[in-house]
Amino acid sequence: MLELLASFSPAFILIAAGVLAGFIPTSKPGTFISKVLMIGAPALALVLINVIYYGQTENTYLGGQISFAGIELTTLRIDSLSIIWGYIFCFAGILNGIYGLHEKCKITDTSALIYTGAGVGAVFAGDLITLFMFWELLALSSVFIVWRGGPKSYPAGMRYLAMHILSGVLLLAGLVIYGRATGSYAFNNIGIDAPGGWLMLLAFGIKAGFPFLHNWIQDSYPRSSVTGTVILSVFTTKLAIYALARGFAGTEMLIYIGAVMTVFPIFFAVLENDLRKVLSYSLNNQLGFMVVGIGIGSQLALNGVAAHMVSHILYKSLLFMSIGAVLHRVGTAKASELGGLFRSMPYTAVFCMIGAAAISAVPLFAGFVSKAMIITAVFENGHLVVYAMLLFASAGVLEHSGIKVPYFTFFAHDSGKRVKEAPWNMLTAMGITAFLCIYLAIPGTYGGMQYLYGLLPNEVAGAAKYNPYTDYHVIFQMQLIMAAVFAFALLKRLGLYPPERRAEILDFDWTYRRLGLSLLKWGSAIWTRLGAVIIFVLRGMFANIGKRLYQVFSPAGALSEEAPTGIAVVLIAGMLSAALFIVYFL
Amino acid sequence: MTDSKNSSKRNSSKRNPVLSPREIVERAEAHPAAVPFLWLGSKKTQRNFIYIPLVGMIVFSILGFFYPVSKPAPWDFGFSYTVIAFFSYSFVVLSAWPLFRLLSRPENYYGEDDVDGKDGEGEDA
Repeated sequence: MLELLASFSPAFILIAAGVLAGFIPTSKPGTFISKVLMIGAPALALVLINVIYYGQTENTYLGGQISFAGIELTTLRIDSLSIIWGYIFCFAGILNGIYGLHEKCKITDTSALIYTGAGVGAVFAGDLITLFMFWELLALSSVFIVWRGGPKSYPAGMRYLAMHILSGVLLLAGLVIYGRATGSYAFNNIGIDAPGGWLMLLAFGIKAGFPFLHNWIQDSYPRSSVTGTVILSVFTTKLAIYALARGFAGTEMLIYIGAVMTVFPIFFAVLENDLRKVLSYSLNNQLGFMVVGIGIGSQLALNGVAAHMVSHILYKSLLFMSIGAVLHRVGTAKASELGGLFRSMPYTAVFCMIGAAAISAVPLFAGFVSKAMIITAVFENGHLVVYAMLLFASAGVLEHSGIKVPYFTFFAHDSGKRVKEAPWNMLTAMGITAFLCIYLAIPGTYGGMQYLYGLLPNEVAGAAKYNPYTDYHVIFQMQLIMAAVFAFALLKRLGLYPPERRAEILDFDWTYRRLGLSLLKWGSAIWTRLGAVIIFVLRGMFANIGKRLYQVFSPAGALSEEAPTGIAVVLIAGMLSAALFIVYFL
Repeated sequence: MTDSKNSSKRNSSKRNPVLSPREIVERAEAHPAAVPFLWLGSKKTQRNFIYIPLVGMIVFSILGFFYPVSKPAPWDFGFSYTVIAFFSYSFVVLSAWPLFRLLSRPENYYGEDDVDGKDGEGEDA
């Protein structure tokens, strides 16, 4: 039985469940079955991954081989790097299922299951072709989740799709060049010097939200439905982090790209009024920490990336869930229209604050035990400027996610909105996630930190084993947090903290949403006018030619007139010469 | 006798403080779990909140001298993270004023509606 189960990727269970959910009618029993699939399928996949990986003795499990056009594809590779991604993806799938229990929506259920399956499948892909297939499925399934935000999300969904199809095309081009040059499609370390390496880096970079390629995150995530945003926040970007960690670990350029990613979103997050957009910028900022870690590429850094990915999925989901619950009840996620909601939604407020503490790396919360590994690795590798940038970014994180999101939603001025607490299923999902945000940071025999660290890809023993709970680390981290909170309180008291105002904040997407569109419209208008002129000129020209030909060849034309034989001979000779010339040279 | 009556009156008013009409309404409207924490929304609490991080900042800054960083960066000293965080945070927040002027446009600038994506939600089960 185990052999049978281990012969294909658990991703197919999730995808099959998604397809099945699409055919189930939306009656009451049908919805029930659909919801059972939403929670049961990721749970089953999680158990399977565990059973397959720990049911064998090797460090790497290879299975699900398929021969395709003479190429051997490995659809299931579970090793020390992929397993932690597989676990958290399945677990996030379960949490998403619980969070969305109140929602009767066939499209969301189907897309979410296929999207989760595509994420799991891509993580366990042993070769680049399998990765590409799941990469594309990820884009196609997730765009329906974006579109569930209603008609106003269609343009954002189209832009989202365009970016992800571009990413897929780049990946395909890169893998073809790589495969032809090396004779192998195995998905291992690629590096930018490999043929097609740059194209694949760019493909991964689009999904990871590299600077100037990041706008699809802030554009699409806040436009999806309440549940949709939570689902979207988990898979795509973290899959890109996995792909970078697998293919480009130790690429120095990534250190600087990641450092920029940690810093620039902070300035946009402070300006934004829509809290789901603030969290989307915050997501970008946290991805930056992981990209820096991948660039460093040391054992500690890659462990930090994996640990931070787990923490990040948990606390970011928790923050998106809590703001989603507010949106579900109040009808808006605009900071300018919220405030004082702790009176109506106290449990959601507590969960949001736990998420905020975790992302701010408060000791005994998840971010503290993961982010520090990356920052320490950066320092140990002597990148002092990047280290300083990460410290700056850590203070910035406190601003947008640590303080702004919970403060303007649940405290600040009383907006006067009195609503019901979030539905029980949302509270359950938030409660489990909040518990994990704390549990995974607790050291010692009964704490969960040992389990988190036990799952990390590089086994480190003895003195090299990382311990985040040193006295100076706790004290200096608390200095950072207290000083930032004090600065916030002081600026508020002095009236220097900017008020939350409704506005569209321009980002790099202006280049294609405004400048590019304007250029396209201008080009189209010019083409229309130019076309009319060209047609007019051509018509005149053809009319002229016709008139001339008529004058020459018509019964009343010049050729019909009586002419001396000599002229006819000359004409025939000329035509023959032209024919000979054409035949000889062409 | 009168003294004891007054004292018992004072004690009972401490136990069951006289609530203003606004407070009664606030309690009635609040979630039961939030009632013991309604003081968090008072002006006084918000005004005095600043002392908590101030004290915390001072305490941890002092502790920083007794537990220095094992491998310090060139700029590290006893309360270096306090200084870094305070100035970084203030810089980020204060930069929002000019940046907002530079980058903000009306909400319908791109000709698309605002972004609260609640429309697509399925009906409650």
